[in-house]
Amino acid sequence: MSATLGLAATGVYVPHRRLSADEIEAAWGTSAPVDRAAVPAADEDALTMAVAAGQEGLDDWDGEPADVANLFVATTTPPLAEEEFAPRIAEALGLSVDVRTETATQSTAAGAEALLAGANADGPALVVVADAPTGDAAEAGQRLGAGAASFLFAGDGDAVLVDSARRSRDAPGIRFRERDSEAVTGLDVTTYERETTRDLVASAVDALAIDHEAVDAASLHQPTGDIPHRIARALPYGGGVVQRGTVVDDVGDAGAATAAIGLLAALAESDPGSLTVAGFFGSGATAVALAFETESAIGADVASAVESGESVDYTTALRERGTVGETDVAGGGAHVSLPSWQRTIPQRYRLEAGRCPECGAVAFPPDGACPECHERVEFETEPLSRTGEVVAVTVIGQGGAPPEFVEHQRRDGPFAVAILEVPTADGSDGTARFPAQLTGSDSTDVSVGDRVTGRLRRIYSVEGVTRYGLKFVPE
Amino acid sequence: MTDAYVIGAGQSDFGSFPSESYRSLFDDAFDEAIDSIDNEFDTDEIDEAFLGTLGVGGRQLGLSGPAVTEHLGLHGIPTTRVENACAASGYALRQAVMAVRSGMADVVLAGGYEVMTDMSGDHTKWWLGVSGETEWERLSGTTFAGVYAQMASAYLREHDATVEDLSRVAVKNHANGAQNPHAQLGFECTLEDAMNAPDVAAPLNLYHCCPTTDGASAVVVASEEAARKFSDAPVRVAGAGAASGRVGLFQRDSLTGIPASETAAERAYDEAGISPEDLDFAEVHDCFAIAELAAYEDLGFCERGEAPRLLREGVTDPDGDLPVNTSGGLKSKGHPIGATGTGQVVEAFSQLRGEAHVQVDDPEVGLTHNVGGSGGGVTVHVFERVDGGDL
Repeated sequence: MSATLGLAATGVYVPHRRLSADEIEAAWGTSAPVDRAAVPAADEDALTMAVAAGQEGLDDWDGEPADVANLFVATTTPPLAEEEFAPRIAEALGLSVDVRTETATQSTAAGAEALLAGANADGPALVVVADAPTGDAAEAGQRLGAGAASFLFAGDGDAVLVDSARRSRDAPGIRFRERDSEAVTGLDVTTYERETTRDLVASAVDALAIDHEAVDAASLHQPTGDIPHRIARALPYGGGVVQRGTVVDDVGDAGAATAAIGLLAALAESDPGSLTVAGFFGSGATAVALAFETESAIGADVASAVESGESVDYTTALRERGTVGETDVAGGGAHVSLPSWQRTIPQRYRLEAGRCPECGAVAFPPDGACPECHERVEFETEPLSRTGEVVAVTVIGQGGAPPEFVEHQRRDGPFAVAILEVPTADGSDGTARFPAQLTGSDSTDVSVGDRVTGRLRRIYSVEGVTRYGLKFVPE
Repeated sequence: MTDAYVIGAGQSDFGSFPSESYRSLFDDAFDEAIDSIDNEFDTDEIDEAFLGTLGVGGRQLGLSGPAVTEHLGLHGIPTTRVENACAASGYALRQAVMAVRSGMADVVLAGGYEVMTDMSGDHTKWWLGVSGETEWERLSGTTFAGVYAQMASAYLREHDATVEDLSRVAVKNHANGAQNPHAQLGFECTLEDAMNAPDVAAPLNLYHCCPTTDGASAVVVASEEAARKFSDAPVRVAGAGAASGRVGLFQRDSLTGIPASETAAERAYDEAGISPEDLDFAEVHDCFAIAELAAYEDLGFCERGEAPRLLREGVTDPDGDLPVNTSGGLKSKGHPIGATGTGQVVEAFSQLRGEAHVQVDDPEVGLTHNVGGSGGGVTVHVFERVDGGDL
């Protein structure tokens, strides 16, 4: 195959909260399909997780965000059924306005399409696979998790795509989601499902022009922990090889993202010269196999992201996911229109402040007269650090939230709102203050003087449009 | 230039009256104000009106001022609706004083009204965080309680103060409000009550927050000549100070005080030729307990960080050196946003005429302090008793 770009940087994100098999079993009186599953927070979705993993990938890279020429995103759960969401990710990551964006979706094999596009791109390409599927809590919902992985393909890299192969077949009903439904489901025709998955994935992997004996690790389609091992029975891979790329028992079934995170886990521990295989599958059905040759260890600390986490009880998981506690927002006072919100995106996503050319003061937001000298000036862009100090903080209890935040509060409980004081990104003189919501399970314990750091999260949705912005987590 | 005098002041009951309208409530306030004028007074004497309201609920956002004065039969007079959030009627009074002092009018009505309790819980909340820097403060998930709670968190950190000091504001103001028949929460509370209430926005609990309130208030401002004609005991507006500040707390240098209060007070004291030591009482804007502590310091009643001591030592109790919020304050009397500023004047007028429910001993000079939002707009007025033949 033609020369591909090397995998130069990687990133991974898995929500901190995890629901254990014990909780699932106690709730349903059945054995749990996974050991534990990641629970996305009330203010997380595929977009925020894509940004988290993408940011880690960019931080791991020696290039600049503006150098990224392509952004390939894959997910089965774009926040809206129709509307681009890659541009919002590009904006949050500070990519160039002329970045090419493409979204692969509608299949758990979407991640492979994005990876292929990235490896074969004509310039630096950021691939982000992020997913947060939902399903009936009594059925698919028991195993569903969430997570994201990013892969930055540039000239040279720690790993190189050496081959890919595909197989497709008319085989529906294994995993699907009807129009206008948020719940993935399947017909559960067990033997049909297992045989189709195994045949398609194994034959795609088998078609890779590689020395299969040299494969050290494989990330195979993994809706549950047993499936990749069933697939591997048709391949010359032992249990250890498969296990190194299997993360579903920590992450849960994260849709398109599970096999991508598994691929990172496999690459993270592979030796120079060894081969790593990924076998993606999407109901319908298609399978895509990828083979990477490792040159040096990748940057992402996959093990700690996958294996860390905090156990939550079943009620908390249902609340965070919005299974219980959803509410509509009616209109009223203090409406911030979409255009007026939109013009502050550089501040809300990236903390772009202004520096007064007259007196040198830092202004945030950089709008209106200078806060120090009160002159009406054109501010010079002065990015702020994403880490700063709490100078005032409150915890908004149940009932005390503005209506736009009621759903978040129902799902996530009381939340803290702080006034932060942050330095400039490059450490030049001056600080700025702004109010910000805190997020994360220990954020309501934050007090004045504590340090916090920014993460893109969902602020709220009004009239069908979700607004994202930085929230802050204890450092 | 003529001085401006208050010759009449009145208010409706403050409370929850879902069957009343902003106009019917203003009727009550207006009647009480006119009744308080000592001599025979025909409402045709009123030349102009300035009425404050935020317009909570979105009711009659346009032309509510003329809608009120026409409803009262003050047919044809120029009426201006004033909006400066919780300081709307403090600014309405300022406009009335300016109209009289300029000579453009002899008798001017200043007042305010708000209806806040006739909506669903969700609908009400939309209107409780509309006067902060909404694009940033509201969008970070705070309503007003949250912003003042942030102020409290910084104050408690910076000074030798505790949550108990915040609760002392509630205990004092409820004790006063219990004597005020117009008060919404006219009951006493113990320090224990005020310590053990549920949190609204930590560190502020329910007793550290004023209620939402329906109500109206009205003040009749007159020139010297008109005051002499209609009043036996007018009250002189000795100082009218006002100032603006950045609307968002996060935008201001101080997180523990309100700079616009300081500036407005300096201007009012300068004009009145007094210093804070000359005050015999004050009505300050205690929408949240921390706001009363900040007010003591912003208005120069004490040094920075000393406000808790004033409360602990009873300096601002009715029998202390400087009684504060003898009406019950916003905490106990209630806070019908647009009606609060001139509502404070009702108390100042009563005190200086010796007619207050919690009467301070022989006061000569008093102050009212009205804050919009968390400090984006402030008025401070100094009032002086005018003894019998002095006018």
